[in-house]
Amino acid sequence: MISKGDLAMLQVKQVSKVYEGKLAYRALTDINLTIDTGEFVGIMGPSGSGKTTLLNMIATIDEPTTGEVLINGNNPHRLRKDDLAKFRRNELGFVFQEFNLLHTLTVEENIVLPLTLDGTKVKIMKQKAKQIAEKLGITDIMKKHTYEISGGQAQRAAVARAMIHSPKLLLADEPTGNLDSKSSKDVMGMLESINKNDHTTMMLVTHDPQAASYCDRVVFIRDGKFYSEIHRGDSRQTFFQKIIDTLSLLGGDDHDFPSVRV
Amino acid sequence: MTFRQFAFKNVTRNKRLYAAYFLSSMFTVMVFFTFAIFAYHPALTGDEMDSYVTQGMNISGGIIYVFSFFFILYSMSSFLQSRKKEFGLLIIQGMTIKQIRLMVFLENMLIGFFATVGGILLGLVFAKGILMVAENVLVIENKLNFYIPMEAIILSFVSFIILFFVISLFVSYVLRSKKLTELIRGDKQSKGEPKANIWLTILAVILIGGGYTVALLVRGVGVFIAMLPVIIVVSIGTYLFFTQLSVFIIRQLKKRDTFYWKKTNMILFSDLSFRMKDNARTFFMVAMVSTVAFSAIGTLYGFQTFLTEGIKLVNPNTFTYQADDSKRTEDIDFITSTIKDENMEADQEEMVLRYYPLEDKNVIIAKESDYNRFAELIGDDKIEVGEGNIRVIKFGDEGLLYTMDTDTSEVITLTSGETLKKNETIIESKALPAMYHYYVVSDRDYEKLGDPEDERYFSAWQVTQGKERVIGAAEKITEKVSPYYFTSVDLNVYEINKGYAPIMFVGLFIGIVFFVSAGSFLYFRLYTDLDTDKRKFHAISKMGLTSKELKKVLSRQTAILFFTPLIVALIHGAIALNALANMFNYNLAKESIIVLSVFSGIQIIYYVIVRFFYTKQIKQVL
Repeated sequence: MISKGDLAMLQVKQVSKVYEGKLAYRALTDINLTIDTGEFVGIMGPSGSGKTTLLNMIATIDEPTTGEVLINGNNPHRLRKDDLAKFRRNELGFVFQEFNLLHTLTVEENIVLPLTLDGTKVKIMKQKAKQIAEKLGITDIMKKHTYEISGGQAQRAAVARAMIHSPKLLLADEPTGNLDSKSSKDVMGMLESINKNDHTTMMLVTHDPQAASYCDRVVFIRDGKFYSEIHRGDSRQTFFQKIIDTLSLLGGDDHDFPSVRV
Repeated sequence: MTFRQFAFKNVTRNKRLYAAYFLSSMFTVMVFFTFAIFAYHPALTGDEMDSYVTQGMNISGGIIYVFSFFFILYSMSSFLQSRKKEFGLLIIQGMTIKQIRLMVFLENMLIGFFATVGGILLGLVFAKGILMVAENVLVIENKLNFYIPMEAIILSFVSFIILFFVISLFVSYVLRSKKLTELIRGDKQSKGEPKANIWLTILAVILIGGGYTVALLVRGVGVFIAMLPVIIVVSIGTYLFFTQLSVFIIRQLKKRDTFYWKKTNMILFSDLSFRMKDNARTFFMVAMVSTVAFSAIGTLYGFQTFLTEGIKLVNPNTFTYQADDSKRTEDIDFITSTIKDENMEADQEEMVLRYYPLEDKNVIIAKESDYNRFAELIGDDKIEVGEGNIRVIKFGDEGLLYTMDTDTSEVITLTSGETLKKNETIIESKALPAMYHYYVVSDRDYEKLGDPEDERYFSAWQVTQGKERVIGAAEKITEKVSPYYFTSVDLNVYEINKGYAPIMFVGLFIGIVFFVSAGSFLYFRLYTDLDTDKRKFHAISKMGLTSKELKKVLSRQTAILFFTPLIVALIHGAIALNALANMFNYNLAKESIIVLSVFSGIQIIYYVIVRFFYTKQIKQVL
C-alpha cells in the first residue's frame, strides 16, 4: 500500500498486537493500512482474523503492541487517558452492531449526547440535531424512546449520533449485524451518501459482503495478517461478486459467509 | 449431576453473584449473635442487674430478630430479582416451576446455613471488642470478661436456621411464574419512564407539611395525643414524596433543556427518572428506618440529659444536708470528717431555714446576711435589701423547672405592726433550696417576723479541691447518713447514669443496627443496577468519556442515592425530637444536633467507601 502523504486520514504502520496472558496470543501481525481523506474502506475476514482488534486500535480503545496508528497525522496513543476520551469524542464517530443507544434517553437526546458532554449551547445542539435528522430521515422519531423504534431506525439514530460533531473519521463495527437485509441496505446506502456528500472518511468492519459492497475498497485480513484488497469499479454488483469470490478463496473452512446473498 | 448437586454448584460457582446476599445475611446473624453474647453474659444475668434489664434485653433481642427477618427477606427478593433471566433460561430448558422452587429453596438453605455459621464465627472474633465497649458504656464495676457463650451460640444458631427455613419456604412459594418472554428479556426490557400523578404529588406536600406543622405546634400532652396520627400522616406523605413528588421534580428538571442538556446531567438524570420507581421503595424504607434510629437514640440521649441536668440544675452545691432532727450534729461531723479523710477541701455554710405560711403555702424567708453567705458559696451576687422591703427570689426559670407567678401586691406584717412590701424586680438564684421562690428581708426586719410555721437546718458544702474523689466520699457518707437528708449531685448523676446505661447501650446498639442496615439497603439498590450501569458506561466510554466525567456522574448518582433518604430522615428526626422537647418542655437542641451529626458523619463515611468500590467496579469494564 502506498502512502499518499497529505491525503491520508488514517495511517496504520507496522501494527502488531499480542495479548499477554497464560497463553500469549498474537492477534495482529505487521498490519499496514492507509485510508485517504474521503475514502470508504471495508475490512473483512473470518471470525478471529483480527478485524475487531484492528478497529479497536484505530478507535483508540486498545493500544498496539508495536507499530503506530496516525489519525490525521497525529498519534492519539501518545495522548493522556482523559485527552484520549476527548479526542474520541471530537475526532471520531462510532457505529456499533448493538447500536449502543441509551434506553433512558430519547432519540434526540441520544444524538446530542456527545455535544452535551462538551458543553455545547442548547440552541446549537437543537439546530444540529434537526439538520442531521432531516438528512437521515429520522425527524419523526426524534422524541421517541429507543425501545419504541425498530432496529433499522435505531441504527440510523446511532449513525446520526456518530455524525453530529462532523467527525474526521467514522468507524463502523458490523453496523448491519443486527439488521434484516432491507434495513441493512438502508443503513449502508445512508453511510454511502454521507461519504459521498460530506466526504467523511469511513472505515467499516463487516462479515456481510452486501454491506462491504458499498465501500470504495475492501481489505481482507486473515489470521491477523494482510491478505488482499480489492477496489470497487463502477458497478456495485460486480464488486459484490468479487468480494464473494475473494471470501471463498480466503477460507474454505469457515461458514461465516453466506454463499450467495443478493 | 443430581438436582441437589446442581443447586449446590449454582451457589459455589457463582460466588460473586451470591456474595452480596451472603454477606448481608452473615452480617445480620453476626449482629444478633453479638447482642446475644452481651445479653447472656454471666456478669449481667446474675443478680447484678435487675429483672427489668433482663426483660429489656429479651425484648431488644426480639426486635433485632424480627428486623433481621425483614432485612433478609428484602435482601433475598432483591437478589432473586437480578436472576430473572437465569430462571427464564432454565424454564426454556424444560425445568418446571416446582423444580425452580426446590432449587431456590435448596440454594437458600445452603446460603443460610453458611451465613449462620459464618456470622457466629465472625461474632466470636468481635466479641471481645464489643464486651470492652459495653464495659465502658455501661459503668459496670466488675469486668465483662470474655467467655465461651454457649447459650448465645445455640440461640443464634437455632433462631437463624429457623429463620432461613421460613424465608426459603416463603420465597420459593411466592416465586411467581411470570411470562417466559419477560423472564428472558430480564432487565433489558424497559418499564418505560414513570410518571407522577399531579394530585398525589400535591397530596404528598400537604401531608408532610401538615404533619410537620402539627408536630411543631403542639405542646405538652398534646404531643402525646398527636403522635400517632402525625406519624401515620407523615409516613404516607414520605411514601408519596418518593414515589410521586421526586418523579415530578425530576421530570420538571428534565423539561428544562438548559439544565438537562448540560454536560453530564443528561446521563445522570435520565437514569434517575427511570430508576425512581425502584428507588422509591428503598428510599422510603431507608428514610423510615433511619428516622426511627435517630428518634430512638435522640430520645434516649435526651432523656438521660434531662434527668442528669435536672439534678445538676437544682443542686448547685457539691453536698447539701437538710434535717430537723437531733441527729444532725453527728451527721454533719461525719460529713466534715469524711471530707477531711478524703483529702478534700470544701467551703461550708450553714443556716436555719424558716418557713412562713404565705400565698397558701410555706415559703422560706431568709435574712440578707444568710442569703449572701449562701449566694457567695455558689458564686452568685450579693444583694442588699433595704428596710421595709422584700426581695422575691425565683429559684430558677430554665424550662425544666416549674415557675409560679408571685403576687407582688402581697404584704407581710411584722410583729411591730410595720408592713414589708415586695420589690417589683424579681431576681433569680439557687442559693437556697426552694421549689419556686423565696423571700429575703433585711437582718433587722427578720428579727420581727414572728414565729415560723416550720424550721429546718440547712448546710451546704462546695468542694474546692479533690473534686475527683467526690463520688467516693459521697458513697462513704451515704453509708451512714440517710440520703433523705444528704444530697450529693455527683453521686446522684453517677447512679442515674449507671441505671440508665444498659438502656442506653441497648438503644444505641439497636439504633446502629437499624442505621447500618439502612445503608445496606442502599448498597443493594446500587448493586442491582451495577450490570446495567456497566453496560451503559461501556457504551458511553467508547464514544469518549473522561474519567473525570465518569467520576462526576457516579459520585452524584451515589450521592443522590445515599443522601436523599438521609436528608428526609434527618428532617423527620429533627422534627420528632423537637416535638419530644415540647412534650417535656426541655430544650433538646444540643442533643439532637449531636445525634444527627454523628449519624450524618457515619453516612458520609459509608458513602465514600461505597462510591470508591462502585467506581472501581465500573472502571473495570471500560
